[in-house]
Amino acid sequence: MAQPTTLPHPAASATHDAPRTGNWDGGNEPFKASYGKLMMWFFLLSDAFTFAAFLTTYGMIRHKHEVFTGEAKDFVFSTRWWPIPDHVFNAFPGMGEANVPLGFVALMTMILILSSVTMVLAVEAGHRMDKADVQKWLLWTILFGSTFLASQAWEWGHFIHGHTEGTVMADGTVFHGANLAMNQYGPVLFADLFFFITGFHGTHVFSGVCLLVWCFIATTNGTFEKRGHYEMIEKIGLYWHFVDLVWVFVFTFFYLV
Amino acid sequence: MASHATTEHTLAPGEIAKPNTAWIWRVFGILVGITAVEFVFVFLMHPSTLRNSIFIVLTIMKAFFIVAEFMHLKHETKGLIWTILVPVSLLIWLLVALITEGSFMGEVLQSMFK
Repeated sequence: MAQPTTLPHPAASATHDAPRTGNWDGGNEPFKASYGKLMMWFFLLSDAFTFAAFLTTYGMIRHKHEVFTGEAKDFVFSTRWWPIPDHVFNAFPGMGEANVPLGFVALMTMILILSSVTMVLAVEAGHRMDKADVQKWLLWTILFGSTFLASQAWEWGHFIHGHTEGTVMADGTVFHGANLAMNQYGPVLFADLFFFITGFHGTHVFSGVCLLVWCFIATTNGTFEKRGHYEMIEKIGLYWHFVDLVWVFVFTFFYLV
Repeated sequence: MASHATTEHTLAPGEIAKPNTAWIWRVFGILVGITAVEFVFVFLMHPSTLRNSIFIVLTIMKAFFIVAEFMHLKHETKGLIWTILVPVSLLIWLLVALITEGSFMGEVLQSMFK
């Protein structure tokens, strides 16, 4: 039996089967989104599952612990019950022992929302191919992102060093601040969850700032200008907004509820 | 990139379109407003299940504006919107189930030595 000689070379099949042109090279574009943007959405979906698992764990562990039943003004820290957040997070940089319940976290929330706004402004400038505007808004976003990280470092520092009064632990000694095994604010798991959840979110912010710095360098070098579009800014923008979105939930479940 | 093509069509080469940013600042105003309302409830209302429910509703409102406007999901195709929303909405079940479980475990542990 003779070998068929008319089989096209595999590499040539694309041209033989033409037309195979189109966005994803299959002649169409699923969800009318570019490949990169769609994959960013799927990554963010999986990341949302990770954060939801963390926050669900927080909810479950919190409900497992006793609740302080008295008046809020009589509240004292104890390892017996879950702390009231505005008694834990009531310090403000440069104000010493002043009682500013949730003041600093309100500022941090504002900074992160503002960074989201400057990110959208950068994406909008990218649509107009306005290189100078993209650079300007990226720099603002990097600034706000870094400020948020610095604020979180301060918040962690304060949480770790603790309030001056401290709390009497089970063995009779007074303990100040928090680590993974002991804390003055409440049950051990309260501080553990604080470190894990805000730490994981902070790591995301840090990665975001790194990506934005890279974006700024690429914009300055004219990489996107040559490419003819600023879609990379949009994709990294999606990630940045997601980080802001996660903070909105962390803020509610850690600081408000 | 459809919007990009149309701007190029009406502009002279090298010219840059005027920014269209009013909607961005409007969404920013809404987000700041909702956060301010949350703080009003923190200081003027005693902690209760009702107060927590108000916080969760306000949080979901903030999430809606971030995802729909800033992340542009509202303006994507229906298929993409559902692809994101359906898996996320299943998490509500996880949350309710595990919080109920947590309350039950707490009840058992706290009455164990009584």
